[in-house]
Amino acid sequence: MSADWGEAIKIAGGGYGITILVLLILAILGYVLALIVKKASARQDKEGDDKEKDKA
Amino acid sequence: MFGWYESAFGALDWHTLVMLLIGGALIYLGIAKKMEPFLLIPIGFGIILVNIPHGGLMTFTSEGLPAKGTLDDLSTGQIGPLNLLFHYGIASEIIPLLIFLGIGAMTDFGPAIARPVSFLFGATAQLGVVVVFLIAYLTEWFTLQESACVGIIGGSDGPPTVFLTVQMAPQLLGPITLAAYSYMALVPIVQPPVIRLLTSKEERAIYMEPQVREVSRLEGILFPVIVFVGATLLVPKAAPLVGMLMFGNLLRASGVTQRLAETAGGPFIDSLTFILGLSVGTLMPAEVFFKSQTLAILGLALVAFVFSTAGGVLAAKFVNLILVLLKKERINPMIGAAGVSAVPMSARVVQKMGQKANPRNFLLMNAMGPNMAGTIGTSVLAGIFLGMIAH
Repeated sequence: MSADWGEAIKIAGGGYGITILVLLILAILGYVLALIVKKASARQDKEGDDKEKDKA
Repeated sequence: MFGWYESAFGALDWHTLVMLLIGGALIYLGIAKKMEPFLLIPIGFGIILVNIPHGGLMTFTSEGLPAKGTLDDLSTGQIGPLNLLFHYGIASEIIPLLIFLGIGAMTDFGPAIARPVSFLFGATAQLGVVVVFLIAYLTEWFTLQESACVGIIGGSDGPPTVFLTVQMAPQLLGPITLAAYSYMALVPIVQPPVIRLLTSKEERAIYMEPQVREVSRLEGILFPVIVFVGATLLVPKAAPLVGMLMFGNLLRASGVTQRLAETAGGPFIDSLTFILGLSVGTLMPAEVFFKSQTLAILGLALVAFVFSTAGGVLAAKFVNLILVLLKKERINPMIGAAGVSAVPMSARVVQKMGQKANPRNFLLMNAMGPNMAGTIGTSVLAGIFLGMIAH
């Protein structure tokens, strides 16, 4: 059985590279998600504080 | 025996005796040394079951694959009961996927969500997979498909290994799964020398805050959905693995399906685990095991774990170069090694080495992030292999 080295290197390099790229994208999405959730919860807290001040 | 029936003694040869000893050794390691007992004990027993001559629990084709058949074939002895279990449970991919669902239901991805750089280490720790893929192919003992299955052992994750091997190289499922689970249990022995070689004493002593930030319930719920949609749009062939993992995780994170999550991560996964272990064990009759490919797989598996550990550590050191340029605090590069997704053993190795280098350090939660991310990394790479290699 003769090895097709071009194909093997393409699969190995491409596979590793794409795996890193996919997980980097997921990391960025996770970071953005955390920012959005943090801002939304800060806004909710601020609205809650404003309502309490109005009542007082 | 006594002219009434045929006993097994006459059919025993040194090959089957060695296999019976190997089965016994695995059971010993599982019970006495507590090395992956949930898997090594069923695998060891399965090896013993299939290597008792004339037992009839499993029959094989001339290529060494479990014979296919129907219930009628079962009654005539052409196949054994474990042939049916193998074909309907393992060859159909149902059992490994459902085990991954259970793993998702047991997994808290909080440490990975809290520190997104964990995903980078979960990816770079797949280095051993691609290195061994190339080495296996270089030897010309393995085809492209078989090389991918030998390489995926370096991902240190059982279900993706079984999932990929059933599709690409079912004739190697026995030795590959045995190598994968055995080396997972040996992570505390394999990883430390590699970590010490690649890091200085000063680097190993780098202090990190023990607690990662608190992750909100909303993040926990959105995470599995985003990961599933994101990863599978990019790598569609990873959908079965990533989908099951994230579905199980959603059951846990939603907070409203506790009973389902507890069942999936409890009795459900336990039942499937011993069925998988037993079935894998029965794939190793002596005539299948005693091939040069099997010994090569056992050797290459070790190389895969070494390079995977190295991949994670070197990535962490690279991140430190950037952090130094940005004048931020460095991370302890050992947490990269936890990207090898032998959960939680790799993380515990990092914790132990961290405490030895600096008794103030408690690295476990920092290491759990890459540990969890590694399961996603291995699933994605398995999906990429399925997409790139014809089978």
